[in-house]
Amino acid sequence: MQSDPMTLTLFAPLFGAILAFLFPRAARALGLVAVLVTGGAVVWLARAVLAEGAVTLALGGWAPPLGISLRADGLSVAMLAMTAAVGLLVSLGALDALRDARQTRYFWPLWLLLLTGMNGVYLSTDIFNLYVMIEVIALAAVGLTVLSGTRAALRAGLEYMYASILGALLFLMGVGFVYLQLGRLDFAGLITAEPSGALSAALALMVVGLALKTALFPLHFWLPAAHANATAPASALLSGLVVKAALYIFLRLTTYMPLPDEVLVTLIGTLGAGAVIWGGIQALRAERLKLLVAWSTVVQIGLIFIAFARAGQVGLTESWKAAALLILAHGVAKAAMFLAAGRIKDEVGHDTIRELDKSAIRPTLAQFTFALAAISLIGLPPSLGFIGKWSLMEGAMAAGYWHWVGVTMIGTLLSVAYFSRVLAGFLRFDRVRAPLGEHQGWALADVAPLTLAVSAIGLGLLAAPILSFIELGYPFGAMP
Amino acid sequence: MIDPYVILDLLLGLAVVALAAAVLTVRDLFAAIVLFIVFGLLSALAWVRLAAPDVALAEAAIGTGLTGALLLKTLHHLRYVTGSLDRQAALSVTPVQPVPMAVIWVNAAFCGLVTLGLAAAFLGAPRNGPGFDALVAEAMPASGVEHPVTAVLLNFRAYDTLMEVVVLLAAVIAVWQIERGLSEAPAPALGEVWAGFARLVLPAIVVIGTYLLWVGAEAPGGAFQGGAVLAAVGLLLLLSRLYVPRPAHRGVARLGFVLGTGAFAAVALLVAGGGRVAFEYPLEHAKTLILLIEGVVTISIAITLAALFHGREPVALSASETRHDA
Repeated sequence: MQSDPMTLTLFAPLFGAILAFLFPRAARALGLVAVLVTGGAVVWLARAVLAEGAVTLALGGWAPPLGISLRADGLSVAMLAMTAAVGLLVSLGALDALRDARQTRYFWPLWLLLLTGMNGVYLSTDIFNLYVMIEVIALAAVGLTVLSGTRAALRAGLEYMYASILGALLFLMGVGFVYLQLGRLDFAGLITAEPSGALSAALALMVVGLALKTALFPLHFWLPAAHANATAPASALLSGLVVKAALYIFLRLTTYMPLPDEVLVTLIGTLGAGAVIWGGIQALRAERLKLLVAWSTVVQIGLIFIAFARAGQVGLTESWKAAALLILAHGVAKAAMFLAAGRIKDEVGHDTIRELDKSAIRPTLAQFTFALAAISLIGLPPSLGFIGKWSLMEGAMAAGYWHWVGVTMIGTLLSVAYFSRVLAGFLRFDRVRAPLGEHQGWALADVAPLTLAVSAIGLGLLAAPILSFIELGYPFGAMP
Repeated sequence: MIDPYVILDLLLGLAVVALAAAVLTVRDLFAAIVLFIVFGLLSALAWVRLAAPDVALAEAAIGTGLTGALLLKTLHHLRYVTGSLDRQAALSVTPVQPVPMAVIWVNAAFCGLVTLGLAAAFLGAPRNGPGFDALVAEAMPASGVEHPVTAVLLNFRAYDTLMEVVVLLAAVIAVWQIERGLSEAPAPALGEVWAGFARLVLPAIVVIGTYLLWVGAEAPGGAFQGGAVLAAVGLLLLLSRLYVPRPAHRGVARLGFVLGTGAFAAVALLVAGGGRVAFEYPLEHAKTLILLIEGVVTISIAITLAALFHGREPVALSASETRHDA
């Protein structure tokens, strides 16, 4: 049997999901092994891409446009690596966070199917294949959303499913228009295409569909409830990883389709600005910790779209890198933050922000993790979030688009304000007197989120190699 | 003299649009479902007229038959939950707060503009533009099957099809993991006619489903259509209570759900080697492998769709429910 890292990246989680579903008692062990094998495959793939640039594999021996080929370049591998690393740590966190037998039984198959779908998106070069992959992601993600089994989670999951399926249908309609115009569905066909009415319609439909899936303001209505009511590991996966798949497709499409014009780029940036401000205000008003973290996701998604639009249409050749950095930074930091928030809720017994300083139990390590993740999300140096925000503002300043700098500054101030609400609660030790021993509230389960949060800060020091890696084999607007 | 088919097409198009409008406006849920089923049947006819018999079969079997059954089952459950099971009155949806007319008009104007824009883009696109037809025709001899749709689905773009089966697997896992906290609605009372009907129709369904699967290699049909028809067997067994899912059956059911995905993925991987990549069937075995995959996937689809109709993981009944059952 001939082995290939890309095939392994897809099939390891798929077989893992099948086995974990067949043998529920061994789901944890099988799931962890599958995630580890997937991680190994991604490392193998990364080495191949480092050595020879982008790698391609025509599945079934049928070359596009008739067949489908898998392709990995620097950006794909960066997304795969982020997914595998965050996924592994969240899996470790889930070992402790999921105590309920039913939740454990279903978490692993759903999460591994989700991983299959996301890896499929990052390796895809065909827009119909992308549609199928986002459907895999959507169903697995909805399953994870309602895993907690509460009424609020079910309601939020239903809303999420409606939004997600509507988004996928819009995307599919766009795919139809592309086929109508070009008669093919692969990326190479998109790059060589001449601009036309049908392709503009296709791009509009697909962008709206993806905006719905990634929760770009004002289509974010489903996200806060869905992410806030899921169990902690599910929230970490949904917020850290799932919304990134649609963002990634957005980045690919806008670079491969006939270039979007200035008005569209400005519109996308404006919606991003709306997300930053509206999400910031809602995060300030949120009463529960997990809801605040979920609103912060809306803000960060907006920020990524501002990074995309930071220097207008001519700047797109560089802007995608700032957006990609912010995607990676948010993935790591938000997973850490949701896991930490889950730990705090587990230890304290609730996650009402106002009451956090009135508990005798102080999950100090989880609080510390939360603060580190907040540093990256606010964008303080030397975190990866800082590098992302910095390259956003640098590009905007160089192009003279000062309004994007202004919005980013306002967003940063808002994020300092809403995270301070939580951090201030953590720091007030004088409110409750209790015997010394009871202040402790940390466990082995804090290791996974802490590792993630430290990485979110530490990766900022590796920003230069990351930047040169994501450019491997990904020349803007052209297929090599 | 006008071509009679043009009149048929016009009537069909008008009827589909009118039925869609009726589904959206009618308040009685039962009427809405029935209209939806009729809408689906006419859509299937429209697909036939568009020379897409494969899509027509899928629309009739899955989009209309199975979806209709799912909707009716949901309605039954809704009636049970709201306590209107024994009443003749229609269960209808009334919005808590009526939507202001201004909002409706703004929405209508916006959607109308979008539709006009899409229509303009559609009309501006090339007629009979390029497509896969030429490529598919050229590659057919190397596909191992004679029906182009099957060649595309199970060979040229088998990866997409595998992932579509994965979507179905994800759906059934997601449904199974939802803890309802509500007991199941009692099965509807079935009259005398029922048993005779089932006796007549069950063997016919099995034959039709298997035929659809088998004929898929050279004519319209295939795993999804055959699976959906065979799922009807499961629906009849479940409805007639000839088969009652028990917690002990869960292992077999799980095996049934993953069988299609597992076998498909295993074949795709195992054919790789000796210079071949994943999904690259050796030509001399291509037809056998494709039929094997289709057969297994059909069984999985049938079991999965029937399980979706049942709608829950069969877990051990609590004491009160056991009493109720007995």
